[in-house]
Amino acid sequence: MIISVNWLKQFTPIDTPIDELTELIGARLVEIEDVTDLSKKYKGVVVAKVIECEELKGSDHLNVTKIDDGGVVEDVERDENGFVQVVCGAPNVRAGLSVAWLPPKSTVPESFGDKEPFVLSARKLRGTTSNGMLASAKELDLFEDHTGILEIDKDAKPGTSFAELYELDDYLIDIENKSLTHRPDAFGIIGFAREVAAIQGKQFTTPAWLMDTTPTFIDKVGDVVTPAVTIDTPELSAKYTAIVMSDADTGVQSPLDIQTYLSRVGVRPINAIVDVTNYLMMLTGQPLHAFDYDKLIALNEGKADIHVRSGRTDETLKLLDGRTIELSENDIVIANGDVPVALAGAMGGAATEIDETTKNIIIESATFNLYNLRNTQMRHGIFSEAITRFTKGQPAALCEAVLAAAVRLIAGSTGAVRSSDIAAAVSNVQSNDPITLTVEQLNETLGSKFSTADIVDTLQNVEFMIPESDDASSITAVAPFWRSDIHIPEDIIEEVGRLNGFDTIEPTLPLRDFTAISPDSFDQMRSTIRHTLARAGANEVLTYSFVHGDVLTKSGLSPDNSYKITNSISPDLQYYRQSLTPSLLGLVHSNIKSGFDTFALFELNKVHTKTAELTSDGVPVELDRVGLVVAGKKSNGATYYEARKILDYLASSLGLSLEYKPFTKDASMVLMTPFEYRRSARVIDVKSGIALGVIGEYKKSVAKHFKLSARSAGFELLGEGLALAVKQVTPAYVPATKYPSSERDVCYKVATSVTYAAIVTALHEAKQAHETVAIDIQPVDIYQAPDTDTKNITIRIAIAPMDKTLTNEEVTAIVDRLSKAVVAATQATVI
Amino acid sequence: MTDLHILRDTLVDRATKSDTPRDVLKAPEFKALYAEIPKLDPKERGVYGKQINELKIALEQAIEAREHELDDATVISLDVTAPWDINSKPLQFLPTDQGSLHPLTRELERVIDIFTRMGFDAHESRQIDNDLNMFGALNFPEGHPARDGYDTFRTEEGFIPPAHTSTMQNRVLRAGKATLEAGGQIASISYGRVFRNEDVDATHEHTFYQCEGVFVSDSATLAQMMGTLRAFFEEYYGQKLKIKTQPGYFPFVEPGLEFQIEKPAALGGKPGDWLEMLGCGMIHPNVLSAADIDPTVYRGFAWGGGIERLVMLKYGIEDLRHFEAGKLAFLRKFA
Repeated sequence: MIISVNWLKQFTPIDTPIDELTELIGARLVEIEDVTDLSKKYKGVVVAKVIECEELKGSDHLNVTKIDDGGVVEDVERDENGFVQVVCGAPNVRAGLSVAWLPPKSTVPESFGDKEPFVLSARKLRGTTSNGMLASAKELDLFEDHTGILEIDKDAKPGTSFAELYELDDYLIDIENKSLTHRPDAFGIIGFAREVAAIQGKQFTTPAWLMDTTPTFIDKVGDVVTPAVTIDTPELSAKYTAIVMSDADTGVQSPLDIQTYLSRVGVRPINAIVDVTNYLMMLTGQPLHAFDYDKLIALNEGKADIHVRSGRTDETLKLLDGRTIELSENDIVIANGDVPVALAGAMGGAATEIDETTKNIIIESATFNLYNLRNTQMRHGIFSEAITRFTKGQPAALCEAVLAAAVRLIAGSTGAVRSSDIAAAVSNVQSNDPITLTVEQLNETLGSKFSTADIVDTLQNVEFMIPESDDASSITAVAPFWRSDIHIPEDIIEEVGRLNGFDTIEPTLPLRDFTAISPDSFDQMRSTIRHTLARAGANEVLTYSFVHGDVLTKSGLSPDNSYKITNSISPDLQYYRQSLTPSLLGLVHSNIKSGFDTFALFELNKVHTKTAELTSDGVPVELDRVGLVVAGKKSNGATYYEARKILDYLASSLGLSLEYKPFTKDASMVLMTPFEYRRSARVIDVKSGIALGVIGEYKKSVAKHFKLSARSAGFELLGEGLALAVKQVTPAYVPATKYPSSERDVCYKVATSVTYAAIVTALHEAKQAHETVAIDIQPVDIYQAPDTDTKNITIRIAIAPMDKTLTNEEVTAIVDRLSKAVVAATQATVI
Repeated sequence: MTDLHILRDTLVDRATKSDTPRDVLKAPEFKALYAEIPKLDPKERGVYGKQINELKIALEQAIEAREHELDDATVISLDVTAPWDINSKPLQFLPTDQGSLHPLTRELERVIDIFTRMGFDAHESRQIDNDLNMFGALNFPEGHPARDGYDTFRTEEGFIPPAHTSTMQNRVLRAGKATLEAGGQIASISYGRVFRNEDVDATHEHTFYQCEGVFVSDSATLAQMMGTLRAFFEEYYGQKLKIKTQPGYFPFVEPGLEFQIEKPAALGGKPGDWLEMLGCGMIHPNVLSAADIDPTVYRGFAWGGGIERLVMLKYGIEDLRHFEAGKLAFLRKFA
């Protein structure tokens, strides 16, 4: 919304410099997006009088004029009388006319701000010098007008600044509408001026005509039957008023004052009647609509029987913009009899449009249900000045005052007369109840030190009614009718704080005790995981929570188990993801293509499945996951082991020790589906026995879909399982021994079907028998000769005695006993 | 003309048994079908073409199934308990200097750390919620225009991917009610991922991160809110900061404000440069009531702001889309 500072000044004095004013408005009323200094645009435009006007010889349309600028423009060629010669091609140029002259060196306002603004000069047209030009409304960037040059309609001495004459030495403030959603009153110049007065600490007085909720209309001339007005559904409209005016002349234009004010705030002047309705809307925030009365009654056997009702799905309506729309039950319709004539609050119908033949008009001043209009606005894509205001909820109390003003102004500018009585239907007019609060309550909420007088003054400045009271510690206030947003003491507190400036309140800090606040244990664990994985050379990613249905199906998941977004931006974002792995797999190919040949990507995030239950408050349970994929161009054996190395490192940083259990068959659980079961393992926490997730390589079909390189593997862990396991971790410290320790490498030849774990488990079980030595078991080598069905697993057994130095024989005896256990368990041959 | 059904069965059978099933598509009998088309009466071509197509689809399915079967048969089981593969060497970690935390989670950790030290507990916000938490409990009546500003997604069940972390506010207030009534305070932040139905470009994302804070006591004031927020940003930027506010409209606070700080020196700020950091205000009495907290006894303040903005300002990141793109070229800049 654009606010003209000069227009504000018609209602409240403003002597603050513009920078301070905008700072103040920003801090106490509404965010400002932009400020334009209009005077720059009109710099140099001068009011001049055409003294002589003669046809230019040899031209069919050009005239040579002599104009009087009062001698104010310097450095311009003048004749012996001091007049300036200007050539003009406009059909309406004539002697005696008062015009806007753009002298040489001035910039044509229409081109102001362009990359190459049009700067005038003295130049010859058909051999005759023209000093600058006489400007049209379009060249002055006011409005489209094809009739010729602008005819100044005020008495002004030649040489007067054009900008001053029409108050175009103005600042335009572009404000952010969104933060005034709850303030219908601020959508009119008068309401905005009220705020501007109050934030400067000044009393505002609303013009009496606007305060008059039961206004006197100008005298009635003629006797048109007062239209019948009915609000069929009370919820749709609190108040609907209408009146008929006769002998309207749609050919009459508004005074330039009104036209220039409308055009500077972005409203195109049309004719005096339409201009008045727009002018009053900009001024008061109350939109008006004028119908062609004769066209309207022709639709209903010559009668005006207006109904405000819901649209019907079988109805259509041709709008002023030429579109024919299908109505819905959420639209509010103005109907004459049963015929829809306007989409209420949004746009008039084409059938009752005012045109050059219009003689009689019916003016509507009403208020409509903002929720319905919001719906209408979105469905039909109508974003007019009127609906913008209606959707803020204009008060019903404004309707009649603004209607009376419209009748008065239209009569004044077009000679039309009021020919009917006012027709009004009221379903519900709300009044504001008194609100009482204590001064203490206000100051305790804001942390401020306002006195009773401060508060009273502030509220009275914006015309709250404060009844006299003996009790200085409390205040009772009644908000004026245009403040439908004031209901509770907090609203009054906001008002006082805001108008005086929240920034004038001294910031303090709340008091707290010395109790330590600890980060959530889950957050602490996640932090450890992140930092550990990054230390392991992996890169943390964040990927979207929503995926394409194909990503699910290609990963072996059913979209039916995903919450589906009904209004998604694209099919790529249609389903909640059930696991992290597919999202991570989606990143592998593009990163390899970008030239990264070895990497691991991980994410800690939430997933959602329909099979998971709802929480006690009825929303889906959220599952935390840790996902990682390691990938690269060249591999060193199965990539599974690369993922495992990272996972083992992660586990040890969390104090966990993991067991990897093979799968015996493919499983359909969500976590598992992308993984190839023969090359994957279940991850189990050894101490607690909690299943933590899956690690492995991916199914060939999955690899194909995601264009994975052969070197791809990863894991996905359950955050909740990890947290439970971590909770059970106890510090395990074994003092280092004082005695020399020994190491032996032993190679076990076993069948290929024997697992590494079988050997290690046998060793671990056997070492229990040796309480006084610490035995550490580490892999050294895993070898399989070509075309054999056995493999050689070499283990380094480190023996650290706790209580004495061991002899070589004693060490050998221990190793032999351990090996014997391996042989017994796995039929190994020690070699 | 060959009987299409018989031919289909023959070809499918061949594909099912072949080691190179895709070759069946090149079979002369199959190709011959296409050669028939121009010879047909134009009226019959449509029906015939459709039949060939169906045959082709059936064949493709059989081929894919067979390919999958062949692929599957080549899978070699691993000894998942082993530390590395047969005949390979002990594995190395990836270079540690390549590893990185995501800049958003890293910044969130810092934000959470500061608030924790200030006395706020921290909880992650939900990624799927209901209308009550997203709007209803926050004083947004059904159909209220203020709901429009949030451009929410919805699921078929009517759940909402939350458009703000305030979706946690009712839960936080309910959880803290007992502490409050025992003479304590509620001091809590909620952080996490939020969603808005917005087309993505350099400055817009449908998925982003917010952090929201709530403080309730029997004596909370707006002055304390401004002091708390200033204290946070002064700690975050490591310098004294000027602050200012702008009236803002959010239905769940009253008064509502937009909070600005003077642009810190660390970000190249000069006096008079201001940064809008977040929205804030005194918690609306209806919001307290919705959590069964008596608004005549307790007052509170709340605020919420975006995390991306902090990160973008800090590093001079030019495009919001980097954050969720998963590109190593971006991620490793934070190694």
